[in-house]
Amino acid sequence: MTADSEGTPVIDVRGLSMAYGPKRVLTEIDFTLAKGEVLALLGPNGAGKTTTIEILEGFRAPSGGSVSVLGADPISVNEQWRGRIGVVLQSWRDHGRWRVRELLQQFGSYYAPFSDEHRPRPYPVDELLRMVGLTELASSKVMSLSGGQRRRLDVAIGIVGRPEILFLDEPTVGFDPVARREFHDLVHRLSDLEGTSILLTTHDLSEAEKLADRIIILNNGRIAANGSADQLSREVAGTTEVRWMIDGQRHVHATTDGTAFVRELLAQHPDIHDLEVRRATLEDTYLAMVASHQAEQATPVLEEEGAK
Amino acid sequence: MSARQAAVSAGIRRGAIEFRNSLKTPTDLGYYIVGNAIFVVVMVLNRGSMVDELGITSSRFIFPGVLAMILIFVATYGLATLVATEREDGTLLRCKSIPNGMTGYVSGQVTRTALEMAFSAGMLLIAASIIVPDLWANGALAILGVLGMLVFGLLATLPLGLAIGSFFKNPRSLGGWGFIVMGLLIVGSGLFAPLITMPEWVQVLAQLLPLYWLGLGMRSVLLPDAAVAIEIGESWRMLEMLGVLGVWAVVGLVLAPVLLRRMARRESGSAMEARRQTVLNRVA
Repeated sequence: MTADSEGTPVIDVRGLSMAYGPKRVLTEIDFTLAKGEVLALLGPNGAGKTTTIEILEGFRAPSGGSVSVLGADPISVNEQWRGRIGVVLQSWRDHGRWRVRELLQQFGSYYAPFSDEHRPRPYPVDELLRMVGLTELASSKVMSLSGGQRRRLDVAIGIVGRPEILFLDEPTVGFDPVARREFHDLVHRLSDLEGTSILLTTHDLSEAEKLADRIIILNNGRIAANGSADQLSREVAGTTEVRWMIDGQRHVHATTDGTAFVRELLAQHPDIHDLEVRRATLEDTYLAMVASHQAEQATPVLEEEGAK
Repeated sequence: MSARQAAVSAGIRRGAIEFRNSLKTPTDLGYYIVGNAIFVVVMVLNRGSMVDELGITSSRFIFPGVLAMILIFVATYGLATLVATEREDGTLLRCKSIPNGMTGYVSGQVTRTALEMAFSAGMLLIAASIIVPDLWANGALAILGVLGMLVFGLLATLPLGLAIGSFFKNPRSLGGWGFIVMGLLIVGSGLFAPLITMPEWVQVLAQLLPLYWLGLGMRSVLLPDAAVAIEIGESWRMLEMLGVLGVWAVVGLVLAPVLLRRMARRESGSAMEARRQTVLNRVA
């Protein structure tokens, strides 16, 4: 059976490591993506999200570990494999003179030979235009589109081959709230109706929570957490922060059982004041992670510059 | 239809659309028209003057050189610049991300270049038929000869353009020096003054490069037999011409896929983004 049969993950990553020279970007990453699942790689800039997704797309060779996408190693795949995946790229100014419909027809025609009864390829262009809300702009030039419209065109190009796995790197950068909402609907539709497995990267926690069945938080090239948004809020964010003042001094303590700690605290020190008890949210944890990452980044950058 | 064939025919459509788009773009159209108009003006100005040794007008002597020159301008320099530009703007990365996309990209570029060449050469041939006296004095076979040389010339220059274009990271690193090299090549390849009047080292160099032989081949088709008197060895050297241009065609056909693959392998979203940042910083 092929890798997309029920139960077998469509993406299987084991011990994935990546280093650029002495600089380690990814360390021992393990995860899987099930068929039809939406997985978000969440992390601050520089956490290794883009590197991970580019390795899975076959655009980059890893330094170590094993990677399997649709049963094959992406770095040594054939065009048949490429016909089954979709990559949404950040467009900039390529194909500016093309008309929207022509461009989708052009790229769609490469997928026609990979069509089968389960997945007729490519998508009919009119349906695709409707899905991404570009029907009215079908005969506009690409260069005349707004940032959000261009991004939707990028998504349309990414899914024109009705992919089994779709890769999206920072898909909603530059979206206004309406475009973001429409994009979220589109992602749900792809995964629910088409059974498309989706791997996306984002640095926006709320987007990951809305879109993904499962979130992997990457920090400094390592997996800091892996689970559904609910699981993460319980596990990662399970700590409670207690702050209080005593003898003019501020104290902070993190605990898993805030109630018990406070009971004990009050029993031992009846004269404390300014007591604050706060359950850390997933957002707090994530923001703390990003802040510590940025603090760590600040020093090495200077060293690198000095070394040049 | 196999996936590869599908990609080739998609590429041909791609090339046709690209060419149509450039005809609809005022700057591109202006470039074609002004570029060709310069040659037309040069031929008009030289209509009356004679090359005394040969007994033909200067315009008739120059015209084969004009055809050779636009070959190298369109199919080597122009194509190379376009490939470098499209590497930078992400066109290539997008093609790489779809199945057989690079095959489609290359067949698109071949189609577009051939169409552009046909368009430019067609305009010039029509203009020259009116302006240049006795252009077709060699008879109807000369028309076939010119077409043959254009096709053979494309074979020698187009793969080279693909190879050079995929060697450079961006159009600016190619553009400046490329233009100077093109200028020197044109002056030193005996297109507008016989090569025998030039220093010996220029002659040696010119005969290693394709442009001189393109010019020689075009002259052999369009000029009267007597004009062979001012060529090296007083011969059209047909075999050597086919041989040297054939070697350049092979060099291009061998190098182009290797360099294109190398270029494609190095393309990724983050490489693109890094270049984009560089460009944005320079603009700012």
